[in-house]
Amino acid sequence: MTQFWRLALLIPALVVLAIAAGHVILTLPAFGDPLSQYGATVDALAPILRNVSNMVSAVNFDIRSIDTLGEESMLICAVTATVVLLRGRRGEEIVERAGHLPGREWLERSDATVLVCRLIATALFLFGLSVILHGTVTPGGGFQGGAIAASGFILIYLGEGYSTWRRMLHSEVLVAVEGFGGLAFALAAAIPLAFGYAAMQNVLPLGTWKDLYSGGLMAIVNLVIGAAVIGSFGMLLLEFMEETRAPKAGDIEDEAAT
Amino acid sequence: MNVLAWCVVAWLFGVGIYGIVTSRHYVHMIGCLTVCQSATYVLLLGIGYRWGAGPPIFYDHPPGTPAVDPVMQALVLTDIVVSAAMTALLLAIALQVHKRRGTLDPQHLRPLRPSE
Amino acid sequence: MPLAHQLAPLAVLAPLGIAFLMLALSHWLPPRSADITAVIVSLALVALCGWLAAQSLHGPIVHWFGAWTPEISGKPGVVLGIAFSVDPASAMVAAFCALLFAATFVFAWGYFDHIHAHFHVLMLLFLAAMIGFCLTRDLFNLFVWFELMGIAAFALTAYPLGKSSLEGAFNFTITNALGSFLMLAGVGLLYARTGTLDFVTMGRVIASVPPDPVIAGGFCLIAAALLTKAAIVPFHMWLSDAHAVAPSPVSVIFSGVMVSLGLFGLLKLIAIVFAGNAQVMMLVHVGLFWLGFATALIGGLMAWAQRHLKRLLAFSTIAHLGIMLIAVASVSAIGTEGFLVYLVGHGLVKGTLFMIAGIFLARFDSVDELELYGEGRRIWPVGIAMGTAGLLLGGLPWGLLHDATDAMHEGDSGTAALAAIIVGTALTGAAVLRAAGRVFLGCSGVPAVELTAPTEREREKGNRPLWLMLLPCMVLLAIALLPADLVESFLHHAATGLVPGKFPPPKSGMLLAAITFALTILIPAASLLRRRPTRWIARRIARFEAAPFKAMQILHSGRVTDYVVWMMVGLAVLAGWLKFG
Repeated sequence: MTQFWRLALLIPALVVLAIAAGHVILTLPAFGDPLSQYGATVDALAPILRNVSNMVSAVNFDIRSIDTLGEESMLICAVTATVVLLRGRRGEEIVERAGHLPGREWLERSDATVLVCRLIATALFLFGLSVILHGTVTPGGGFQGGAIAASGFILIYLGEGYSTWRRMLHSEVLVAVEGFGGLAFALAAAIPLAFGYAAMQNVLPLGTWKDLYSGGLMAIVNLVIGAAVIGSFGMLLLEFMEETRAPKAGDIEDEAAT
Repeated sequence: MNVLAWCVVAWLFGVGIYGIVTSRHYVHMIGCLTVCQSATYVLLLGIGYRWGAGPPIFYDHPPGTPAVDPVMQALVLTDIVVSAAMTALLLAIALQVHKRRGTLDPQHLRPLRPSE
Repeated sequence: MPLAHQLAPLAVLAPLGIAFLMLALSHWLPPRSADITAVIVSLALVALCGWLAAQSLHGPIVHWFGAWTPEISGKPGVVLGIAFSVDPASAMVAAFCALLFAATFVFAWGYFDHIHAHFHVLMLLFLAAMIGFCLTRDLFNLFVWFELMGIAAFALTAYPLGKSSLEGAFNFTITNALGSFLMLAGVGLLYARTGTLDFVTMGRVIASVPPDPVIAGGFCLIAAALLTKAAIVPFHMWLSDAHAVAPSPVSVIFSGVMVSLGLFGLLKLIAIVFAGNAQVMMLVHVGLFWLGFATALIGGLMAWAQRHLKRLLAFSTIAHLGIMLIAVASVSAIGTEGFLVYLVGHGLVKGTLFMIAGIFLARFDSVDELELYGEGRRIWPVGIAMGTAGLLLGGLPWGLLHDATDAMHEGDSGTAALAAIIVGTALTGAAVLRAAGRVFLGCSGVPAVELTAPTEREREKGNRPLWLMLLPCMVLLAIALLPADLVESFLHHAATGLVPGKFPPPKSGMLLAAITFALTILIPAASLLRRRPTRWIARRIARFEAAPFKAMQILHSGRVTDYVVWMMVGLAVLAGWLKFG
């Protein structure tokens, strides 16, 4: 279809949808005045029942934890998929040199860059770790802290250069961290089953209010998710950066599956 | 003010769809897809909002202070991380397509038609 | 806690955990261990889900995760936790998913061996998502498993890394990701109106309030997402691209069970959540019926006009999904029973056919029926399988598909429904038989509309012996040939568990079956005996016959931008119907 016909079909469809959306908008419960009692009940009950002060973490890691297991699986699945697609038949061995486009100037890395990247990468890791550990107490948790810590990997690449970075990051380690993190979450769900409780029931001692260890099983789940997210994003960054390395002699440009 | 949030949702989604339909580059299309996704996030967070309420974290305030709906926030939070990974997946596909075809124009990339 | 309640979550936790373990150890796994583990896990899940189905005959097995039962909230309409609710129909569909996966793992033995078990990890996550989708009782949990199914499917489609696979995967991802966003928005709207995410509680609230644009809007969005997954016109265009370019073992799962799950989810939502809302039920009875009607016809016609066997099978899947949607739209106990049996029967036969396509790719590097003319004589046992499968698809009066079609005719005996089912079934069976005739019997008329259909040469790894690839085909076909009466009472319980109702006394559908079967035999016979039109009148007729097919081929352009436009048109049709109808 040409652009004209595409827009000729799309614009009327969007107009009809806009009218329907307007109808829905006018009858939604008023903004800022929700009907639902679900959230308010969680806010009221979770601090008492689970000794945690972060309600969002309570929902994510305890009340609706099977959802989070599904989301974690989605993350691992998407990262595995990206790894498979980018790796192709490139293989996983470590090649020492970054790729170099002919005609581009090769600039030396300045000392300021290296220093700042080292400082900030370390700070990022520590901050990410802190956000993960305090997930049940203050805003944060496994997902957020894991993403922060994983962004430290990029700064290492910037500061140290491709060869050092590649020697530091091993895909076996990252994949193992990712996989064992997910497995620990699934086990945290299955082990209470073996003892006759419901799946993922919070059977551990609940800890102290506003303390690092609070929420029982929630704190453990939080940690393993943080680890899994760090492993996942690390793998992602690794495979994308691998696209920049110098092509090896044996690299096949893959076509159809053979 | 009452309907502003919902109108923003509808607008974001419409703009994102228009961008996808008129796109001439895969990466641009992926960006428009992200815009559509943001529309759903605004919808969910808007549904959970409560006037005069704070975040559902009771570290500095005692439990019982009015707070917004934590369920909606939890739903959106995990979804954001997943969408980052899905965008990475789409970009990986785009990268590989570019290596094989040399172009990322959706008008010229049609599966099972080797003549194109 | 009773054993069934204790084991129900394992159906999802086990494949997830094993997939993660395989991923963690992927660099150190011995060579065939991934294949063996995957087959064992799938077969174990078949047994578990089958046992759960039997246990749930007296009442659904409900397992509340984290022991967050509804009483904890202290308020009547507020359900804090997420539950898995195992009823016979859901457990049966989950068991069928696992069965098809087991057959696929046997078929794909050694196919993907040079990449660290990643294929098996993705497939096990896919299986876990499907089982979770069947068993859950929470709307956002349904969405989570729906999206996980999607992401695993996107990855597996792009796996071969060929040009077409990547572009097909991109089209697939964009359209289905948009579907996911629509579903999430729908979930949000329903939560805003009902204050809960649990099916049963939400159904109670919706039945007690008058029809509401918010509820209708929520249904419209969620239905659009599920109809996209189920490839119903006009949301269907991604399927022909994706299933044609995915590796054959993966296409078995896609056509066999993934798309049918979209309709199963829709049926569960209609039956449990929206049964009390008159506006939505009217859209279901009328709107969804006509969409199914259009899908059956368009799928059948497009299947007839293909030469690339996998694309042909993809369009035939679309036609059969249209037929299944007609059964869903009838919202009756007998229609539901027909739908469930059809889901299993169609999945078995379609899975067999995609495996046969995989055999062609492994042996002959092609699935183009015109290129493969006569080549099949060397592998004649495959021809028997393909012929049987084609006859079953086309309405052979024997086996699961025939019993299902009979039940569907009783569920909705209007003329339009009859016409759609007969035409859709006959055209798809005819297309497969025509292809089988060309490849195995070496008879061919002059190709007409299929000559200009999209096609491509491709290869798949051919390192497995023929008997290993043929074995799962034969097993699936054998199950598809069983009569459904063997499990009649189980099916009655399964259907009434979802849609309560009475069953009419069984009538003989022999006349309709005879008409369908006759068409299935006559149409390919006419095509294979066709001669080149030489006289002026014959040429005119041929051009007139080819015109609608050419128009439809142009509409199915392969460009994702067009697909998104049609999706928006479909969404506007649903929304417009609800608003103005």
